[in-house]
Formats: sequence, C-alpha cells, structure tokens
Amino acid sequence: MASVDLSVQLAGLRLQSPILVASGTFGYGTEYADLVDVSSLGALVTKAVTLEPREGNPPPRICETPAGMLNAIGLQNPGVEAFIAEKLPALREFGVPVIVNIAGADTEEYLRVAERLGSAEGVAALELNVSCPNVKAGGMHCGVREDLLAEVVSAVRPVWPRPLITKLSPNVTDIAALARAAVEAGSDALSLINTLLGMAIDVERRRPVLANVTGGLSGPAIRPVAVRMIWEVARAVSVPLIGMGGIMTGRDALEFILAGATAIAVGTANFVNPDTVAEVRKGLEDYCRRHGIMRIADLVGAAQQSGRQT
Amino acid sequence: MTTSRRATVVAREQVTPLHSRLRLRAPEIAQQAQPGQFVHLRVTQAWDPLLRRPFSVMLADPRGGVIDLLVQVVGRGSEILAAAAPGQSFDLLGPLGTPFPLPPAGSQVILVAGGVGVAPLIFLADALANAPQEYEITGLFGARTASLLCCWLELASRCQEFLAVTEDGSIGEQGLVSEALARRLSAPFPGRRVVYACGPEAMLAAVGRLAAQQPVEAYVSMERWMGCGVGACLGCVVPSALPEGERYLRVCTDGPVFPASAIDWEARSA
Repeated sequence: MASVDLSVQLAGLRLQSPILVASGTFGYGTEYADLVDVSSLGALVTKAVTLEPREGNPPPRICETPAGMLNAIGLQNPGVEAFIAEKLPALREFGVPVIVNIAGADTEEYLRVAERLGSAEGVAALELNVSCPNVKAGGMHCGVREDLLAEVVSAVRPVWPRPLITKLSPNVTDIAALARAAVEAGSDALSLINTLLGMAIDVERRRPVLANVTGGLSGPAIRPVAVRMIWEVARAVSVPLIGMGGIMTGRDALEFILAGATAIAVGTANFVNPDTVAEVRKGLEDYCRRHGIMRIADLVGAAQQSGRQT
Repeated sequence: MTTSRRATVVAREQVTPLHSRLRLRAPEIAQQAQPGQFVHLRVTQAWDPLLRRPFSVMLADPRGGVIDLLVQVVGRGSEILAAAAPGQSFDLLGPLGTPFPLPPAGSQVILVAGGVGVAPLIFLADALANAPQEYEITGLFGARTASLLCCWLELASRCQEFLAVTEDGSIGEQGLVSEALARRLSAPFPGRRVVYACGPEAMLAAVGRLAAQQPVEAYVSMERWMGCGVGACLGCVVPSALPEGERYLRVCTDGPVFPASAIDWEARSA
C-alpha cells in the first residue's frame, strides 16, 4: 500500500507532518527527548519567550478539572538572551523547524524580542502570544481587542522576514473578527485556540485554588469550543490555521483538519500520555488509508464543503 | 533513562483505613529507581481524571522486578488506584526526579516521616540498612492517630531506633513529629548528622527551620500537583531560597528531594 503523504505547507514552511506541539506544553524540547520522537514532529513550538527573564506566578499554578486542567504559570522563562544562548542550540539539533512563541508587556517588547530572534540562527517562524490569560501586563488584553492586536502584529511584521503566526485567544465574542484583524495586519498564519479563562474554588478552604485566582483551561474539555472556532475562522480568512485544544487522538486531530486546520498541535495530552504525538500520527495514517486519501492536505477543510450552514 | 510502560498490579494490601500498598510489576523502574525518586502514574485510560499522579517509590526489588507504592485516598484518582485489583495495569512514567543524596559513612541519620510521606523514607532506610557502610538510623514517624501510621513496621524494622508520634497520643509520644526532631537535635552529637524528611508541608517547613539553626544537613522530599513530571510545564514549582537561579524550582526535575536550605519556607503560600 502506498504510504500516506502527511506533509503540509504552512505559510511557506514545508512541514513533514501536520503534528506540532502546543507552546508551553513541551518546554524547549529537551525535556521530552527521552519519551517523544521529537524529530517526527512537523515543528516544535517553544514555551513563550519574553525580552527579560520572568519568574512566573506563585504556586499553586495548576489544578485538575473535569477532563481538563487549569494553569497559571505566568510566562516563566529565562528571557530572550538566555533562550538564544542556552535553549536554541539544543532545539536546532532536533532537525525540525523551530517556532518560537513570543510574548511582551507592550508592543515595543514584542518588537524587540522579534528583532533579537531575527538575528539568531535556527528560528523558522514566530508565534505571537497575544492570548496568555495569566499575566497582568500584556498577554491577553491585546489579543481580545482588534485594534491592539493589529498594532502588535503590524509592529512585528517589518522586523520579522520569516513566517509570522498569531495565536488567538478564545476569550472573545467574535473570534473571526480578531482573525481578520491579525491577517490584515500581516499574519501569515493563525494558531488557535489558547486556553479558556477559568477558575476553581477550594470549597473546604473557601478560597480560589490557584494563587493567581484565574487560570487557562485546557484539555479535552475544551475541544468542541476549539473545533467551532477553527470552523468559524476558516470561513473568515484564507491563511493556514494551526488547530489546537484538547487533541488526544488522531480522531480528535481530524476534527480540526476537517474544520479547516492545515496543521494541529498536541498540548495538554503530552502531560497525560507522551505517546500522543505518535498515536495521533498513526491515527491520521490509518484514517487516510481507510478512506483512500493519499495526502493529508487534501482533507483540510473537507467538512466545510458538506457542512450545513449555521 | 525515563520510560513509559504498562505496569501490572501483583498485590494490593489495605494498610490503614486511608492507605493502600500496591505492588506493581515494573522491571525497568525496579532496576533503576533510587530512594527519593518517583513514578508518574496514569490512573485511567479515559480522560477523566485527566492528569497523572506522582508517587514516591516505597520499595524496589530489582531482582523480583517489582516496586511498591503507598497510596493515600485523597480524591478520585487515588480512590481508583487504592481500589486496584491484582491483574489491573497502569501507565507508569519513571523513575523521575532527584534521589536522596546518601550520607557519608558513620553518619547519624534521622528519618522524619509524616503520614503517607513515610514511603520514600522506607526506601531510603532500606538502602542504608543494606549498604556496606555503617549508619546509625533513627526513624521518627508522625501521624494524626495510631491507625494512620501506615507501614510503620517497614520503617521501624530498618532503623536502630524508632519513635512513633501521634497528635492524639493514641500511640507513642503525643505531639508533632517536628517537636520530637527538635528534641533529638538539641542533644549534642559529635559526628555528622543528616536529616531526611517527607510529609505535610507544615512539617517540612518546621524541619527546614530547625535545620537552619543547627549544624545538621537536611533534605526534604516535596509534593505538588504535577502536570508533565519531566520539567516542561512548570506547574509544580516551589519558591527557591537559593541566591542564584530561578525564583521557582520544579518539584519534578529539580526535586522532589531538595536540601532544606534550598526552599524559601517563609514564602509558602499553602
């Protein structure tokens, strides 16, 4: 039987597989090197990098929820200089495109991180984190307003010559409007969704579980929301989409692809089952063989053609 | 090297109303695990409860290919695990984390256990009791009440001296195990003294403060809700007291065993 072609084109990047890992769930790659065949990934997306080191939020930072988890890490990272010196050399060794997720407290910070990474070797693309719900300054506030989002994207655009991906927040009324704003400002691709803002209360102690009070909800609990948002954004813009939100299996990944995602990312599932990346890959191949599909790219948005309009 | 494997339950014993002891067939982990290390266990193949649970290895038998875990029922995940029947299998990731550094020969070793925190100290006592060097090992084991001194005999049988401490005085001394430690440490000792502790955070903080005032080395095994278990998610952190490096240390890979002096006990939020 002919092998299935899993490669996809993403804003000028040729990815050997449509399977990525979601920012913040895979560290800087080396943490999972014993457990995951990193070289099989379509691309590796790093934990967020900021201009200066950030210590992150006080603990507790995570808690489990029904079929999901809340996190409020608070963008803990060593800063862009230490990232380039200490993390990037090992990341390059994996032989897959490295997408660096960047965050900033204001437009100027995004711009300076992007500039700095522009002169570093081995960064295939940037993912703008305008949707982190867990930091007071920056993060989500600029991802939920079209004007602020456009300001960040158009500031970074001229200093970053390679593919620019904007990661969208789901904590908005109309994600299609934000998607259009990001694309008009110069994004080559969009990734979605970041976590949904949530919270949990310890009823015995009568106080919030997380020290940050609120956190971002991820895991299979959010998948239907994410699939719906890919569906809506795919109808609103024509750039490629990276779909994520609770993908645990190949079947889950197919929902995103059929809704319009060119690539998908495995996030929280990496914590639960480090074999997820391999299992999703096998699931996609099995599905394609079963349905006589030669190229996974042929399935992108396939449900849109037959999908009933809402 | 960390591996992910199915491990089959070969025996289960209810050791207290709250605690079960599980024996799992896990040959690679039994070979490699050192006292203080943990396994990250997935309690179900379904998505709820979602996250893995970390458990310190209580004993490892490399020849028999089995490890023992001590499970306290605190929620849905531990409930599933504590009720596991022989033949049932679970995904195990491990061994993970830092082991207890072994003390120099001739040291006076004081093991301070609180409740289910006894598990890694049993493994350490076992390693010390079977080591070629000689150690003088004292075990101090605290719990709310006598019936919750889970697997106490496993610790006591590996120590030269053993003291049970209960908050209600139902057995042994009445009070807190940290108070018993304070009394031990106030008695002068000419040689080297090393304290190893695992238990509730308030107890560990008390041990940390005592150790800071005494000429004694102390190591604590910390517990946190954990995401990945391999250092990627930064979910399981504790505040650092080290002059350099990150403000927060990861329990999964920087620990779970830390020098007591590495933890900022005054910043504890819990």
